[in-house]
Amino acid sequence: MRNTLAIARKELSAYFTTPWAYIVFTMMLGITSFFFVAILQDFSEVQEMVRANGGWAQAERLDPGLADYKNLTDGVVMQLWGVLSVVTLFLAPFLAMRLFAEEKRSRTMELLMTVPVRPVEIVLGKYLGGLGVIGTTLGLTIVFPLTLALFGRAETGSAIEWSTVLLGYGGLLLWGATCMAIGMFLSALTESQMLAAILTFALLLPWMLLRGVARGAEEPLRSILHHLSFDAQLEGLTSGVLDLKALVFFASVILFSLLLTHRAVEAQRWA
Amino acid sequence: MPMIEVQNLTKRYQDRVAVQSLSFSIAEGEILGFLGPNGAGKSTTMRMLTGFLPPSEGTVRVDGFDVFESPMEVKRRIGYLPETPPLYLEMTVRGYLRFVASLKGVPGRQMAAEVDRVAELTDLKPELGRIIQKLSKGYRQRVGMAQALLGSPRVLILDEPTEGLDPSQRKDVRSLIRGLAGQHTVILSTHVLSEVALTCERALILRRGQRVAHDSIQAIAQTHGGPNGSLEEAFIRLTQDDESSPVNAERPSEAA
Repeated sequence: MRNTLAIARKELSAYFTTPWAYIVFTMMLGITSFFFVAILQDFSEVQEMVRANGGWAQAERLDPGLADYKNLTDGVVMQLWGVLSVVTLFLAPFLAMRLFAEEKRSRTMELLMTVPVRPVEIVLGKYLGGLGVIGTTLGLTIVFPLTLALFGRAETGSAIEWSTVLLGYGGLLLWGATCMAIGMFLSALTESQMLAAILTFALLLPWMLLRGVARGAEEPLRSILHHLSFDAQLEGLTSGVLDLKALVFFASVILFSLLLTHRAVEAQRWA
Repeated sequence: MPMIEVQNLTKRYQDRVAVQSLSFSIAEGEILGFLGPNGAGKSTTMRMLTGFLPPSEGTVRVDGFDVFESPMEVKRRIGYLPETPPLYLEMTVRGYLRFVASLKGVPGRQMAAEVDRVAELTDLKPELGRIIQKLSKGYRQRVGMAQALLGSPRVLILDEPTEGLDPSQRKDVRSLIRGLAGQHTVILSTHVLSEVALTCERALILRRGQRVAHDSIQAIAQTHGGPNGSLEEAFIRLTQDDESSPVNAERPSEAA
């Protein structure tokens, strides 16, 4: 436990003493701001259009899809969480890539493997460090719902429905944790950080898009692919629904990745 | 009981044998010089002793514990300086030493004192606050050395500890290592012969993964060193790549 925490602390300080994490933070905030403004603009356009055309009752009869734009929580924050899950897919590989690849390249793996520390402690320590940095990256985006809560207005109650927002946010964190676990495993397979990032991305993206493939497939493959796709599992979580099946799904992917990482760390000595 | 006991140690890679049927033992408190031309299997052997690399065959026992069966017990007893000092360049010297000390199980209360102690031994005290990235090669080598000394392990395995140092730094490291004799069992590899003559009592010479000599420095020089009895002459004779006279590891007198 002590070793795990020592390694986690070292990982975190490595992220924060090199410019890398700050670049990712900046990209995260930049991209998210861009989408935030765009989504907000859409939202106010719809609101105005509805008001000009005789209110919500009328509008919903014409286009049921408009119901999503009724309040800030569904109309803005949940849309934003959806976008963020894609941004996370693009950024997490760059945060995870150094976890093991850097140790191998700089020959510090030899230190970790010859001090009295078990491989499982190394893997958990590194993963905790990785969780810290992805948590920080995603944590920054909480400013967007905060801004809405401060400046937004609703016809009834508070501008933001926090329980839904935070539930969706929790789903987003779980998704970030999944990306980091997969990224860490691929980082344990190579000395090259760039290769680790590319492999992670090459695994995450098609996995995310599996649902699209599922549509064209026959049953039962169709259902299987649908259930395996990140996209389908994320849908409920990022829209603030407590979906137990999705929780189990992501927890299993994380656990499996950690086990594979452990195998990879043990096995590299045998190469 | 010897501190380190190596039996029939072999490391095979797909296309070559790096270390072949190596057996030797080292008494507690002894300083053993590991000699051999580049590629003779010195680093590979050391990596197997530390448990970093698993052997293809054979056993290694440190203080009675088998490296393969009880790796944690062995790792607790070994301080290891690899060929490339394993440094985190973005850390300060102090931060790095504290990190390694905590992995070696140095208790929190003794941490500062322990870091100070090894920094003192390696003359790093004024550099403790500096980022490792900014240190010269010689200082980095010392940080690697300091790391190996943390926690006062009973066995020190040093892979080319004087590599990259200038003559006066080499002298410091030599006297540091000599000062460790008695309390620590030390294996150090080098291809600088004068180094061995000045620091070690005994030497083991490897050639192509096989032992060609293991004796006191004097005995090696006298037996194989020709009329002058020089260690250099002995080294060259023992490690020469002469296809016509195959080395017989167990009867080194024939190679002379």
